[in-house]
Amino acid sequence: MSSAARSHEAAELTACDREPIHRLGTLQPHGFLLALQGPERRIVQASANVPAGPDGVLGRRLEAVFPEIAAALAEAPAEASAGVGARHLRSLTLGAGSGGLSDARAYDLAVHRSGDLTLVEMEEAAPAGPAGGLDALSSRLDAFVEGLHAAPSVADLCHLLAVEIRHATGFDRALVYRFDRDWHGTVVAEDGNGVLPSYLDLRFPASDIPAQARELYRRNRLRIIPDAGYEPVPIVPPLTPDTEAPLDLSQSVLRSVSPVHVAYMRNMGTQASMSVSILVDGALWGLISCHNQAPRRVPLPARNACDFLTRIFALQLAARERGAEAEQRLRLGAIAQRLLGAMAETEDFHDGLLARPDDLLALADAGGAAIVTAGTCRLVGRTPPDDAVRGLYRWLSAAHGGEDVYATEALAEAHPPATACAETASGLLAIAVSQRSATYVLWFRPEAVRTVKWGGNPAKPAIADPAGGPARLHPRTSFETWKETVKGRAQPWSLPEIDAAKDLRAAILGIVLRRAEEMAALSEELQRSNKELEAFSYSVSHDLRAPFRHIVGYAELLRAREGANLSEKGRHYLDTVVEAAFAAGTLVDNLLAFSQMGRNALKPIDIAMNLIVEEVRRKVMRDVAPDRTVHWRIGPLGRVRADPMMLRLAVENLLSNALKYTRGAPEAVIEVVREPDRDGEATFRVRDNGVGFDMAYVGKLFGVFQRLHRTEEFEGTGIGLANVRRIVERHGGRVSAVGELGRGATFRFTLPLCA
Amino acid sequence: MADLKPILLVEDNPNDIELTLAALEESQLANEVAICRDGADALDFLYRRGAYAGREALDPTVVLLDLKLPKVDGLEVLAAIKSDPLLRVIPIVMLTASREESDLVRSYELGVNAFVVKPVGFRAFLDAIRDLGVFWAVLNEAPPGRFPRSGGR
Repeated sequence: MSSAARSHEAAELTACDREPIHRLGTLQPHGFLLALQGPERRIVQASANVPAGPDGVLGRRLEAVFPEIAAALAEAPAEASAGVGARHLRSLTLGAGSGGLSDARAYDLAVHRSGDLTLVEMEEAAPAGPAGGLDALSSRLDAFVEGLHAAPSVADLCHLLAVEIRHATGFDRALVYRFDRDWHGTVVAEDGNGVLPSYLDLRFPASDIPAQARELYRRNRLRIIPDAGYEPVPIVPPLTPDTEAPLDLSQSVLRSVSPVHVAYMRNMGTQASMSVSILVDGALWGLISCHNQAPRRVPLPARNACDFLTRIFALQLAARERGAEAEQRLRLGAIAQRLLGAMAETEDFHDGLLARPDDLLALADAGGAAIVTAGTCRLVGRTPPDDAVRGLYRWLSAAHGGEDVYATEALAEAHPPATACAETASGLLAIAVSQRSATYVLWFRPEAVRTVKWGGNPAKPAIADPAGGPARLHPRTSFETWKETVKGRAQPWSLPEIDAAKDLRAAILGIVLRRAEEMAALSEELQRSNKELEAFSYSVSHDLRAPFRHIVGYAELLRAREGANLSEKGRHYLDTVVEAAFAAGTLVDNLLAFSQMGRNALKPIDIAMNLIVEEVRRKVMRDVAPDRTVHWRIGPLGRVRADPMMLRLAVENLLSNALKYTRGAPEAVIEVVREPDRDGEATFRVRDNGVGFDMAYVGKLFGVFQRLHRTEEFEGTGIGLANVRRIVERHGGRVSAVGELGRGATFRFTLPLCA
Repeated sequence: MADLKPILLVEDNPNDIELTLAALEESQLANEVAICRDGADALDFLYRRGAYAGREALDPTVVLLDLKLPKVDGLEVLAAIKSDPLLRVIPIVMLTASREESDLVRSYELGVNAFVVKPVGFRAFLDAIRDLGVFWAVLNEAPPGRFPRSGGR
């Protein structure tokens, strides 16, 4: 998430927010302040600790009291005091006697504008620290910049900075503290000497650094508190004479800090602190926060070095974050490509997404995902239970129906029933794939508090504040507060993740749309070819059938009326003509029946299967030679739901087949039973003890015009079992056959049981 | 026998005409058989117009009507007959090569009296024609026509 996208209104104003920090009107005592007015630089206000005392300087011209300061200001370029923030001009030694000093003292001079006034601050110079100033740092600086370039991650960058800042300042501990979108903070890097406890990974609620404190941090990049036990020094007089307003000390380097902050420091067991703001693209990204158990001064050159290091870091960070975002987009793009590939391979995009569950989750760095429609709910990973997800689906459809993408990191706030599933679904990212059939792809993120790493020791008991300060002003109470604040909240969805979800949505829509177009084209083509087939059938039924009828008709007339005039051979030829034409005509009839089977609409009704089988049995037995012995074994067949005409035809085909192929058996045994219902299907079995078939050809058994026997052996057109299969499959059932040459055949067909 | 009502065969295919006549002949029906070769011709015959203006013969005892006919097809002829209050009493048997269910349904909707799909086998055809001829021309007492019957079979 880029810093610019952070919501500045996110943090609610607390009591602390309303405290006018920058107008506290007091200073820390490690220096003094003069407020100068007009071109003659008359001193109109001064801190109470000014060497000669306020009474000795107020109303006088700067030149008269502190000629060294006046000279330094005169030398400084004009813009030095015009910019934002206090500008350190130089180190300056005030001689004995200057401004009432008893002996010479070294100061760091800083100057800035505050309204019409020029504020001059004289900070007592500290003895040079361990690392010295920029000069002493230069060799380390090279290594630092190299290190920044080589650091593999933002976390590594932060760690390098913490190490370098602590080295430059000599503090016991340096933390790099990062704000999130809602201004909650996390300690992302730390370097320390073990004197102070580790706060790595500690979380702080946004209220710990309130809005106007953050604004100060943004405007004034470096603040230092050398000794939290200081006595605040008032400004005299408190109000600027001309304006009757307190001095605006927001840019001041000596500015007193909020008593709340001082208490906080004491509770942390630190006496000295320094913070440096990390600004990325002008917005507050985070802070470097240094602490020392004992009071500690940091010389100006070292502070300048810290500021410099931090700005180098910030530049690198900005580039790195942009790079990381680009990298994340690339990575998510690759995941999306894999998901697309999987979707393209399946008929239903749901199956494609579910075929790659890890990629589906990784696309949004989610803990769980779901694909939900009005009727189905398919879950991946850690998700709320099925009914809760369906509830979410209904809520999304109703409350966010028109939105393509919906993202929240605090689902329970938008949808209170989701409180119950905060553990798995505090964060929700949803894409509506199609408005019409209302399909949602959902990603879930767990509650953030459950995903927090803790580098310190949260179990260590809090040390009571000896000064009796509020108990919450302690990092560990901060952590508790943060946990309360982020209860029911997940890690926010990043822009690249949301974009990846949007892209996936577009891709799915593309696939669905293309598929719909293909289906439409296909169905148009099917309808056309169906029409053509119908016309063809009609034509066949009238025009092809007629000649066969005529051949048979004339041949029979010839035999009946002129048969006596024909020779034996002639009559045989005539018989053959009749047989052949009759067979051809029957074939046409069967073909037509087969094509009608596919075209006519099913009219399913509830059928007593035994009735149908009995009727068919009687019908097929009429054509059986009277000398044959056929044993029928028909079990209780129950009821099914089917089109009666078609089912009868299927049964007729099966039973007449059984009769036909048992013709050679001395005693035919034909069994028709219903097997136990399974998987919502009724299974019927027709078994005979006839000639059977070679299982090698079982695949051909149900094909149109596939025959496994020679015509002389068994008559037929090879369409009967094709009809059976067509009828059964149109009812949603399946057919199968097993057999063995000479040992009979068993046919099974299933019909779905309807609820 | 002169007042025996004729059988009207409406059929365009000469082979079918010949075979149907042979079948009727085999059935030994004495009724005269009038033949029309298309639907328009059949309607002219029934309405005594065009070539049949002034036709004196009685209305047919049964019409054997092929479905697929030139000019005016069988279903149209059927519809015309069944929508005419004077002609609708004449029994109509659709004789057709079609197994198309839609034809069958439509025929019954229009009030056909019987529907015969011409079987491929001649023997079966013969049986069907004989049964039909006997039923409609001989056994069945046709409803009173426009001309009083003078009895006899």
